[in-house]
Amino acid sequence: MTKKCIFLIALWALLILPGSSLAKDSDDLLLDIPFQQIQEQARDTKVRWYMFGGWAHVNDWVDTYVAGEMKKQYNIDLIRVPMDAGIFINKLLNEKAAGKKIGNIDLLWINGENFKNAKEAGLLFGPFAEKLPNVIKYVDPKSMTHDFGYPVEGYEVPYGRAQFVFEYDRASISTPPKNMDGLKEWIHSNPGLFTYPQPPDFTGSAFIRQIFYAVTGGHEQYLSGWDPDLFAQKAPLLWDWLNKIEPFLWQKGQTYPKDSAVLDTLFSRGEVAFGMSYHPSHAQNKIQEGSYPNSARTFVLADGSIYNTHFTAIPFNGPNKAGAMVLADFLISVEAQLSKYNPDKWGDFPALDLARLSPEESKKFQAVDLGPATLGSDILNPVAVPEIPTEFLEALEQGWKENVLDK
Amino acid sequence: MRHALIFLVLVLLFVLPVVVLVLVSLAPGWRFPDVWPENFSFRGLIYLARHQKQILTSLSSSLLFSLLTVLTTLIMCLFPAAVFARNKFPGKALLEGLLLTPALVPPMTFAMGLHFLFIKFSLADTLVGVVLILAMFSYPYMFRSLVAGFQAMGEGYGICAKNLGASTLSILLRVELPLLMPAVIAGGSVVFLVAFSEYFLVFLIGGGSVASFTGILIPLLNSSNRSLAAILTLIFLFLPIVLFLIIDMVLVRVYRKKGMV
Amino acid sequence: MLPYLVLFCGGVFLTVCQSFGVLTPLPYGGGALDAYGKLMGDPSFFASFFFSLGVAAVSALFSVAAGTFLAYRVWQLPRQLASAALVYKIPLILPHISVAFVILVFWSPSGIMSSMAHSLGFIQTLHQFPNVLYSGWGIGMILAYTLKGIPFAMLLVMVLLVRFDIRQVQTAAMLGASGLRIFFTIVLPRLAPAMHTGFIILFLYSFGAFDIPYILSESRPGMLSIHVYNLYFKHDLARRPEAMAILVIMFCFSLVFIIVYSKIVNHLDNGVRKL
Repeated sequence: MTKKCIFLIALWALLILPGSSLAKDSDDLLLDIPFQQIQEQARDTKVRWYMFGGWAHVNDWVDTYVAGEMKKQYNIDLIRVPMDAGIFINKLLNEKAAGKKIGNIDLLWINGENFKNAKEAGLLFGPFAEKLPNVIKYVDPKSMTHDFGYPVEGYEVPYGRAQFVFEYDRASISTPPKNMDGLKEWIHSNPGLFTYPQPPDFTGSAFIRQIFYAVTGGHEQYLSGWDPDLFAQKAPLLWDWLNKIEPFLWQKGQTYPKDSAVLDTLFSRGEVAFGMSYHPSHAQNKIQEGSYPNSARTFVLADGSIYNTHFTAIPFNGPNKAGAMVLADFLISVEAQLSKYNPDKWGDFPALDLARLSPEESKKFQAVDLGPATLGSDILNPVAVPEIPTEFLEALEQGWKENVLDK
Repeated sequence: MRHALIFLVLVLLFVLPVVVLVLVSLAPGWRFPDVWPENFSFRGLIYLARHQKQILTSLSSSLLFSLLTVLTTLIMCLFPAAVFARNKFPGKALLEGLLLTPALVPPMTFAMGLHFLFIKFSLADTLVGVVLILAMFSYPYMFRSLVAGFQAMGEGYGICAKNLGASTLSILLRVELPLLMPAVIAGGSVVFLVAFSEYFLVFLIGGGSVASFTGILIPLLNSSNRSLAAILTLIFLFLPIVLFLIIDMVLVRVYRKKGMV
Repeated sequence: MLPYLVLFCGGVFLTVCQSFGVLTPLPYGGGALDAYGKLMGDPSFFASFFFSLGVAAVSALFSVAAGTFLAYRVWQLPRQLASAALVYKIPLILPHISVAFVILVFWSPSGIMSSMAHSLGFIQTLHQFPNVLYSGWGIGMILAYTLKGIPFAMLLVMVLLVRFDIRQVQTAAMLGASGLRIFFTIVLPRLAPAMHTGFIILFLYSFGAFDIPYILSESRPGMLSIHVYNLYFKHDLARRPEAMAILVIMFCFSLVFIIVYSKIVNHLDNGVRKL
């Protein structure tokens, strides 16, 4: 019995000692020293980047290009860890509650609701965005003030841009619907061939937000902030629209694909006629991966297509904040954004302000061939509408469950 | 004839899926209406070759913590199993039931609360933490197996050895453990498989610091990239089979030498 | 051993606390029983609960029944075939989630069974294939749990069968008993302990696990474990107590089930003559 106790105590001591509170002071210091010093501190270290791991091509881009550049320029070992945002937020939450001052996550890929939850719970380090040279040089400050209507205040750095598009197979459908009403008609005349991922899946949630804007008269009315009365007044229009098309959906609306990956599979195998994605280059990627037919194309509806920015952020207990800052800065650099834009690598739209680029840099971006399935900014920008404040998002997701799923 | 029928059923149920997995791994676009895939591609295999380092690392990590879990459960359960097998005491059935609960209730029920405790004890994000939590909910299998083993073995050998002057530890290690080997293997195999295929707990407690093969497999099973999912599943199947074959061969050899087979 | 029980109980205790809104990571604004009240008033919770029960019960029953029968037949195989019959252990090694994937590959409207139906002339387009996976009855999940469960039941039953004296079977046959009679009156009662154990384990596992539902779950009603997962990871953190409340209810149910089932089995056993 005593042997057991001694063993346990020794084990405990061994595990606790390394984790003793080093510098919260040095963290605050990081915000004051010049960036060159931060780069020096970051040299020869390890950086652990936690991000969504369900896209093989994105994983590849990070593992080869980003890791390669970080090693070359700073001798930093980049370790990518696949983990969904909801899960790492939860992990950080538990760590904060348990008082764990040194965690194991350096950088996060995050946006929207997850960012709001993280910032409100005090899980993030900052404000650090304004310290990064590439941010100062290339990012339009107006584009990083709010994330889904929630103030950023420098706690996250732009990483890429996304816009909601629909996908279809040109070989089966010659002209896709042009607007929401056209879509509704198409669904009615072609029962069983359309569906959307079940909220709270990211893509499915975005879809119902799109419809919400379209049937309630646009997005401007929601941008000033959460208004429960406005929501109570307008939401029934959405539920009505969704419930009316439900009997004509795939599986008669009895069940919805669990997430966007399932919808991808259904679309790729011809079980449904339309896919949808928050990433304009998703279809092209899938074609190159061999999952989608070569005739897959994308389209947007005239009523508006939601766009948003996705970001990187640093957790409060990151062990290597200097390294994380250097990585975040690199990701928003011209070379990284250009490489990311290339559809052979990822095809994610840049988060830079293209107006701030030099003529040669600008030309490079324009020269990128996005592939036949991806729409260019000339088509996407005119219909782009901003995202809704996050409180609406939660209310919409919960409302969908109560008014559409459970009915 | 009856035998052939049963055999057919077994093959259809259990071997056909593996064959299909092999086909899917080589033909990701296989879909209606092809009963046999039309286009084969090696894209999945190429991905495998390019990422071999990552796959091998996570495979060895999974192997390591699974084996450690087996060892931990063995150490945990050896003594209590002996006590349970050989003694009768009031409330024994109840205690036995209680000890078996972790394997019966959904792991989610205690894992989430436990995550918090583990962080407090600095066990989260460590290999030790992962082994502990895996041992915690898989030990009942080892326990049950050992109890059965002890009961089958009886106390005769132990008493003999004691009469001849052996110490308790010596009896345990040199007389009883070898006789218990079949039970240890049986329980150990189940514990190994449970630990090896666990995703959620390793993920939650390991916090991304402890690599696991399931950590690579699961996100891909969900995606539309079917050939990768199929290939990784086949690798997953391959490893324990090889392990069990090795153990079988080694044991048979050892026992043959000792004249126990 | 004791430290582990402490940890296990500690974990459960914390879950219970969080379901009352105590010790949650973010300060909780509601009352202690709010989460439970919300669940009780939510018809979809009950729908999910009974759906999970149904899927678990059907798959466990079928696994044990088919597994026992197959084990019996395999036990009777001549020695040469017996080693080849070890293929039944394959699904044991496959992770649950891969088995779900296999079911998906076979039974989705664009999958293998559908292609076979097409080549046999039963259907023309893939949309005519009957709705196996998305019918609302959880058939996909039942198939997956059964595919995993049959080998498990076979394993448990085999342990007892191996010790069975085959001469008893032969004697009964010589005395004129039919195959069915022998199975039901001689063999089955002996296998009962393994069957009961198998049923309890498979039932409770299918009830609470989330690997297979992660791939095959349907929206309406959904499995409880997926509901918990969504509440815990995908929704607002303020809904944590609801997730914990569901977990507590599942935990209590499992305990009650084990106790009641064991009591009933013991009761029935006392009426059976032991050979």
